[in-house]
Amino acid sequence: MSEEFPKPVPVPDRDSQPFWEGVRVGELRVQSCDDCGLLRWPPRDICGGCHAFSWHWRATTGRGTVLSWVVNHQVFSPSFATEVPYTVVTVAINEQSDIQMVGGWCGAGAPRAGMAVRAVYTRFDEETTLVNWEPVDEAPDSRDE
Amino acid sequence: MAIRDRVAIVGVGYTDFSKNSGVSTLTLASRAIASALADAGLGVQDIDGLATHRVGDSALPGTLAHSLGLADLAWHLDQFGGGSVSHAVVGQAALAVAAGMAETVVCYRAINARSEFRMGGTGRPPVDAVETQYQAPYGHLAPPQQFAMAARTHMEKYGTTAEHFGAVAVTQRDHAVHNERAMMRRPITLEDYLASRWVVEPLRLLDCCLETDAAVALVLTTTERARDLARPPVLISGAAWGGGFTLYSHGQPDPTVTAAHSLAPRLYSQAGIGPTEIDLAELYDCFTYSVIVQLEDYGFCEKGEGGPFAADGAIALGGALPVNTHGGFLSEGYVHGLNHICEAVAQLRGDAGARQVAGAEVALSTAQPGYVSGQTSALLLRRAL
Repeated sequence: MSEEFPKPVPVPDRDSQPFWEGVRVGELRVQSCDDCGLLRWPPRDICGGCHAFSWHWRATTGRGTVLSWVVNHQVFSPSFATEVPYTVVTVAINEQSDIQMVGGWCGAGAPRAGMAVRAVYTRFDEETTLVNWEPVDEAPDSRDE
Repeated sequence: MAIRDRVAIVGVGYTDFSKNSGVSTLTLASRAIASALADAGLGVQDIDGLATHRVGDSALPGTLAHSLGLADLAWHLDQFGGGSVSHAVVGQAALAVAAGMAETVVCYRAINARSEFRMGGTGRPPVDAVETQYQAPYGHLAPPQQFAMAARTHMEKYGTTAEHFGAVAVTQRDHAVHNERAMMRRPITLEDYLASRWVVEPLRLLDCCLETDAAVALVLTTTERARDLARPPVLISGAAWGGGFTLYSHGQPDPTVTAAHSLAPRLYSQAGIGPTEIDLAELYDCFTYSVIVQLEDYGFCEKGEGGPFAADGAIALGGALPVNTHGGFLSEGYVHGLNHICEAVAQLRGDAGARQVAGAEVALSTAQPGYVSGQTSALLLRRAL
């Protein structure tokens, strides 16, 4: 990372702060509607399914499936100049497939569509932890799967 | 009250297309507006409405009004947004004219997209959206990355190939050869396409639009008034916009279906025109993949068949549906959407010279189909009889 071009870090807002707090303690949280049970993410106050305002945070398993991926060669931001080529994946979480998250790729090989993955909580600095992804079968405790 | 054919486009204007205009967006806009008014045979004093869209990168309608000495605009629109709202700007101007709020509206887009404000780069902060915090920290912060993500899904799901994307790039370059305004006029082959460097896999350099300094403008007035003006009027038969899910938040679970899929039936029904009656289409081509997905979502072929449809020659001049007859953003230049409408007007007037689609009567022109913002918009235009 370049000192001159710091990487963009998540700046938690009033909706997202508990999500990022969860990530910092190794928990991937989404909201769950108290009325209809629909899960939602990114965080917001109203349920898009039944329009209720009552909800609670729910910790997911941090497991998902790779939907798509890209390999970046172009330097779109100088803060990533030393990282190209790097892979970014889109993952549908196991609990509800329309919740799709973008994150960095930690697998040894290339991702594949449909690959089972798990969240890797990567500490960025004192305040910030990011969610990256790796194949379930490369995880240290994969014998337990 | 239907909008159908009640408002006409009566003038189009351009500045030069370049990598460095050397002038402000205010200057570019003024020049394009003057050019469009000259084309229409009108003067600045005839304008009573101004409209544009921008993403913090261009001159405001109020600033233009001041520059032009227009003290009392009856209507104006400063629409926030990128390519997805480009056609909505013209649609909303048409509504204003149809409703009698203004009689003659100029829509313009002015950008120094290479020399001043590069989309998604370089060193520019990521777009100001709530969802950015969930993507930018991973280095996923520019439109090519988001389109590449969707393009990969299309390849996985439907077997779309690099050769299909390449066919779009090669065909549009062939069209640009016949367009004096186009920035890229040297023909390319599929081999050139495949040899071009990766930008973000699965997209190569030749999948990506140009970055252009330019402005274009269009003059709209009532169809009734249009019949007395200098040029053959082009009628706005349909104007639709829609969508809602943003792909920053991935609310649309299948990225191979865009907002255009639900907009298209509304547009066709407004105009009373279906896809089989369309003679040519100017499809928003920020990336080759965008053309392929719109061929499907506007009903020119089945879902998943956009790649083979493009590669079989249907989108070439002389094919069943010539697409991006000016070369599009890939080869003419990137003016964020309005240059597609200008080209559709040129074709419907029979002004397109060596790239003219013979007997062109009906044209579709579209905005960015809904990635990034989740929204899209489109126009159906036809030659006045």
